[in-house]
Amino acid sequence: MTDLAALSSFLVAAVGLAVPLALAALGETVSERSGVINIGLEGSVIWGALGGALGALAMGPYAGLAAGAVAGGLAALAFAAFAVRLGTDQIITGTAVTIGSLGFTGAVFQSRFGATGLALELQTVPAWEVPLLSRIPVLGPAFFEQAVTAYLAYAMVPLLGWFLFRTRWGLALRAAGESPEAAHAAGVPVVGTRMLAAVLGGAMAGLAGAHLSLVHTGTFAENMSAGKGFIAIAVVVLGRWRPWGVFAAALFFGGAEALQFTLQALDADLPYPLFLALPYVLSLAALAGWFGRSRAPEGLALPWPR
Amino acid sequence: MPREPRPGRSPGGKAPLVTAAARLDSITRRFGAVTALDAVDFELVPGEIHGLLGENGAGKTTLANILGGLLVADAGVIEIGGRSVELRSARDARALGVAMVHQHFSLVPRFTGFENVALFNGEAWARRGVIAPGYRRQVEVRARELKLDVELDAPVAALGVGERQRIEILKALMSDTRVLLLDEPTAVLAPQEVEGLFAVLREVAGAGTAIVLVAHKLDEVLAVADRVTVLRRGRRVLTEEATKLSARELAEAMVGRALAAEQPAEGEGGRTGQPKPDFAPVAFLEDVTVGTGDAPSLRDVCLTVHRGEVLGIAGVDGNGQRMLAAVLAGVVAPERGRARLPDEVGWIPQDRGEEGLVRDFTIAENVALALHGKRAYRRGPWLDWPRIGETSATLVNELNVLVGSPEASADTLSGGNQQKVVTGREFLRAGQLLVAESPTRGLDVRATRAVRDRIVRLARAASRPPGVVLISADLDEVLELADRIAVMVRGRLIPVGPKDQNAAAIGALMLSAGSSTP
Repeated sequence: MTDLAALSSFLVAAVGLAVPLALAALGETVSERSGVINIGLEGSVIWGALGGALGALAMGPYAGLAAGAVAGGLAALAFAAFAVRLGTDQIITGTAVTIGSLGFTGAVFQSRFGATGLALELQTVPAWEVPLLSRIPVLGPAFFEQAVTAYLAYAMVPLLGWFLFRTRWGLALRAAGESPEAAHAAGVPVVGTRMLAAVLGGAMAGLAGAHLSLVHTGTFAENMSAGKGFIAIAVVVLGRWRPWGVFAAALFFGGAEALQFTLQALDADLPYPLFLALPYVLSLAALAGWFGRSRAPEGLALPWPR
Repeated sequence: MPREPRPGRSPGGKAPLVTAAARLDSITRRFGAVTALDAVDFELVPGEIHGLLGENGAGKTTLANILGGLLVADAGVIEIGGRSVELRSARDARALGVAMVHQHFSLVPRFTGFENVALFNGEAWARRGVIAPGYRRQVEVRARELKLDVELDAPVAALGVGERQRIEILKALMSDTRVLLLDEPTAVLAPQEVEGLFAVLREVAGAGTAIVLVAHKLDEVLAVADRVTVLRRGRRVLTEEATKLSARELAEAMVGRALAAEQPAEGEGGRTGQPKPDFAPVAFLEDVTVGTGDAPSLRDVCLTVHRGEVLGIAGVDGNGQRMLAAVLAGVVAPERGRARLPDEVGWIPQDRGEEGLVRDFTIAENVALALHGKRAYRRGPWLDWPRIGETSATLVNELNVLVGSPEASADTLSGGNQQKVVTGREFLRAGQLLVAESPTRGLDVRATRAVRDRIVRLARAASRPPGVVLISADLDEVLELADRIAVMVRGRLIPVGPKDQNAAAIGALMLSAGSSTP
């Protein structure tokens, strides 16, 4: 195996692992910009994985992706109904949604496929080669021989940037997250805005979950979200609540995870879990402001009306 | 109260106008058992500046909020532009051309001035949802028309209070505005900025907008208003043209009785009165520097406070006063420099609702919070609740807090009354040092008098009086009470020489390198 080939296969793995993180984290970015920190994101991911699996069994893999997004959005709706509409504590509510979702999805799966978890084989979403771009050496196969979910993630980056910083709805959404009082005074329906943002974030996390079951593995397993939703929240922090930053941060986390697998495969004499820890250390550093000022929206996790 | 049809007059005394800009007819509003407004009539003529005066709890803000759509009246009729309307939200009011500038600005701190203007006027520039490039120009043009000097590209958090207020006004006046409501707009401004604000208001009124100016300072209202309405305990007691009124008449209308002639004139009772005994220093700061980044910081502040003196600190809000108070109160440690502070410090913070009180606690509990360390309020390891209750009751009476009992939750108090509780309590705590941040902001005439008198009495006490640091954007207050004066400008503390202790010299100093341009 040449070095270049090793690098290439590492990058393919890194991007593949980054896609679900990017999708969930971009969704969470929208949610947090509106003032809602959805710790229940993990719940949306696992519902998305299950919804994706069930949807794919019924109507094929692409319908499965859509079903995953809907399932993730519904989980976020349940979260938002309490945390936004009723003003319950966002952290506690989100934790409850996550734990509840992990349990419920397991129960649904077992009741459908039996307690032993008969190995489920799903038709996966095929990768699309983008003409020309996929020919770029090294980077081409990594970025442009991916499933549709990856291209969705790429597209979301400029789209969300434009939405958040160029449109009046983006302005209103950010105002709801920065200062719900001022947003309210300006006529922004704060509760409605936050509900919508949370549901959109959940839908993208659901898509991330569907990616896990329909692109990454071709099966569903209990707890297969494996903390992706929580990692996505860290990705948002490291990405400083900006779409481009979040995308780069997702690649970084994906890269760290891929590096761990690569090192394992190479049988290198390094404690590979160290590389799994690195992104978190950097996230903490980002939170502590070591990379300049990057602060969470001021109204984050604050209930409205107070 | 029978409705009194008041012929509308334009400011110059021209012919009566037919259509009022807005008319409130027999408006009543209750909060629980309290009647905040009792069948109040109020009328606004296009192009007038209408001063709305009253003590705390008289109903001024309630009245403004009803006209601004933030509160719904229990009874009565609202007419805007001659048509009877229902105002269910601030949005309704704005659609009818009624805009409001709040006492606590409703700006998003991290948005730029332009973004704040755009946010508030979403409908105006919606071209398929995207910020239209031409809107920026419109905002600039409008600012020029109104002669408003605004900074549109910096985050408003980085701006001075005066600048923020101008953005607030611009934002309200981007669309056609029939009525502009301003709640205590001068409370936070330097004298020169007040002049600038009034010039803008005259400009706006000249274009036909009716302006309601809710205010405390009688002189200011008389200086700018065409007409004045006084409320007392929820009832309207007077509406008159400003030229026919004196400050004294207004004050008496507000209080409801003749005032004794002892309203001390400027300068009395404080600086020029008794000879100042030269007591020992109780607190001192040496080259204190705090804060980095965009937080208002202190730079190399040196300061000594002696027992028995009132050290007045003037300055436009947002120049580091709050940090200075926090350092003196011992809640923030200096990053550089030295601070020597006494143990018994009373602190009246600027934001009493947040920093001064636990809102879910009763008044007595809030008093106990501050006094639990004192031996006199303890019995062994337990708190002496009867004693604390007594103290609370005294405090409530002395400062005329409008509340049922000390067992009421602090949350049920109005802003002014919360402030009275904090102020009174901290007086009790200030054994060696009292740090008072704008102690009378938002208080009515009587309570202001009471608080100022107590500050002077505290510092003049015969035995072991504490030192007082009075931080106030109200220059008159500083001039009246302080023995020595210093000015805060951009985190620096500049002592004022004895010859310069007048409003003009200090005002100039306040703006010299100030965070806001006049």
